[in-house]
Amino acid sequence: MIETLGFFATSWTDPYLLALTALGTFAGIYIGAIPGLSVTMAASILISFTFKWDVNDALALIAGVYVGGVYGGARTAILLNIPGAPSAIATAIDGYPLAQKGLAGEAIGLSTVMSVMGGLIGVLALAVAAPLIAEFAIKFTSREYMLLGIIGILLVGTLSGESFAKGAFAGALGVMIGMIGLDPMTAETRFTYGSINLMGGVPFVVAMIGFFGVAEALVQLDHVSVAPIKQKVARIVPAWSDLRRYLGLGLRSSGLGTVIGALPGTGGDIAALLAYDQAKRSTKDPEVPFGEGAKEGLIAPETANNAAVGGAFVPMLTLGIPGDAVTAIIIGALYIHGLKPGPLLLTDTPHLFWFIVGNLTLANLFLLVFGLTGIRIFTKVVECPRAVLIPLIIILSAVGAYAIQNNPVHISWALAFGILGYILKRYGFQVGPIILGVILGPMIDANYRRAMIGAQENVGTFLYDLVSHPISCVLTGALILMLVSQLPFVKQWRKGSPPDNHGPA
Amino acid sequence: MKRSEPQRPGERLFALLLVVFAGYMFWESHAISGFSGLTTGGVMPMLASGVMVLTALVILTETIRKTRTAEPHPQGLISYLFPLRVVLFTVLVAVYVAAIPSVGFLPTSGGLLFVSIWALWRRGPVWSLAISLLSIGVIYLLFRVVFSVVLPTGSLWQ
Repeated sequence: MIETLGFFATSWTDPYLLALTALGTFAGIYIGAIPGLSVTMAASILISFTFKWDVNDALALIAGVYVGGVYGGARTAILLNIPGAPSAIATAIDGYPLAQKGLAGEAIGLSTVMSVMGGLIGVLALAVAAPLIAEFAIKFTSREYMLLGIIGILLVGTLSGESFAKGAFAGALGVMIGMIGLDPMTAETRFTYGSINLMGGVPFVVAMIGFFGVAEALVQLDHVSVAPIKQKVARIVPAWSDLRRYLGLGLRSSGLGTVIGALPGTGGDIAALLAYDQAKRSTKDPEVPFGEGAKEGLIAPETANNAAVGGAFVPMLTLGIPGDAVTAIIIGALYIHGLKPGPLLLTDTPHLFWFIVGNLTLANLFLLVFGLTGIRIFTKVVECPRAVLIPLIIILSAVGAYAIQNNPVHISWALAFGILGYILKRYGFQVGPIILGVILGPMIDANYRRAMIGAQENVGTFLYDLVSHPISCVLTGALILMLVSQLPFVKQWRKGSPPDNHGPA
Repeated sequence: MKRSEPQRPGERLFALLLVVFAGYMFWESHAISGFSGLTTGGVMPMLASGVMVLTALVILTETIRKTRTAEPHPQGLISYLFPLRVVLFTVLVAVYVAAIPSVGFLPTSGGLLFVSIWALWRRGPVWSLAISLLSIGVIYLLFRVVFSVVLPTGSLWQ
């Protein structure tokens, strides 16, 4: 117990880690807030800078950016009606009308306190649930990992795109990118076209930088002439009566956010939208109707998206399956540092698990401090014109792509992925499933082959194994259910279940 | 659920191209090890590209069902996907990427910043130059000095 507490407090007692967490959270708020910069983009670029650092230092910075970034998107959603991040899409619905009424400061204050509450509940859930799940996950075989990988990719496709087919296509494309290089089992070349550079495969950080950084910069070119709107901000600290009044809703949204965050492939954006929907259904008589500045409509998504952060770490640390795009990148960071996320991570390196829990808690406390201060400077920074931001994103992407292996070829790959990502985004595709495909593809490949070898290459035995073992059977059932639920006639039969489509992130 | 949303310009042609691309990827995947076994290196690529073919066909069907906004024409796809600003900026970035190994990271990045800010913001060359120099200074200090990141060097200028 004392030992666990010591691991938990690592970043609280080390001034350097404390400073890195503070810096990460502070930077995250701005990154999340500035339209055109995303946490996923920042985290993928940061990995390439920090991979030579000590793992604790790198994680402290990235976790801070993650926590700060998920929250930061709310500020521009409230002030400018532009969600700085996809997780703040629902926040803008009621946050901006509040700002239009001159209540921007109050809205920011309330969203900050509720975000911290959600964040802390998410971390608590991580601390309690992860060890239990890890204990259970030790029983997982390659069959279960294969199924989990497929479910992870499909969930993103199912929940976050305009069409399931587009999500699945993007996921499969990601798997194909993940296959490039030498086959680790047979040393056969796959899709290398005689290129020596391609033999080593595509580093997923390069793919991430291309799809999230360069592609986003190209998309932003469309909005380059949108003039920033100036805002006035007054009172920040929320009233105690408001906090007491919305505590129940906050707790409910936190619970929902944690569970949604913990589902492989779903993150803060979906948690926020579902929490908004849930608040709208459950609030009988809001002071102001939803969509016109209801505080409930601000609190629910903000609490849920921050709670989803802790939730997203659960499958990432216990199963090695990312909860969302940012945890997919953090998995990459752990791999780069020689660690293998999965059930053994908790038993082999408990210090790392408790360090992450302690660090996320600390980042949430810093969020409270930074969230309630510096709003005036903040409004100036987010007015940074896109004409400056866009080339800066390209330059940061170039440094990030190069820094992974000091190979200039990777910069051109990032550019190529960026152009591909831009084209796909223009036609309503999500790039999130591609990244999950790149990361999970090789894992699915290796585990499928192991499972098939275990079944002596007999399709009948392989399929029988999928349904005859309890855990595999549940996962296979979930997978079939997911696929069946996407059939047109089933969709028609389930009335009114899909939430509004808010377009690609 | 009726699909009444309008087609994006060139979406039908794009969906068709996706089918062709997916088919080509399946053919390439098959070339790895054919149907010689269930655990060969080509199985997963064939499964993934098979999913791509199937979903591309579904996407094509979905697109055809959407309300048509304009006559399908390659020009619609090109003008929707590649507005002049995007094309010019992409060319500029491609030149930037190609120039890094010879000219070096800092001067090329400075050049990219200056040209982009000047062209996109239109606040005059002096203003653009000042912001570019300031940004390059901050990038150098932050990455090279604080984070000790190796920046790409050029054969002409380190």
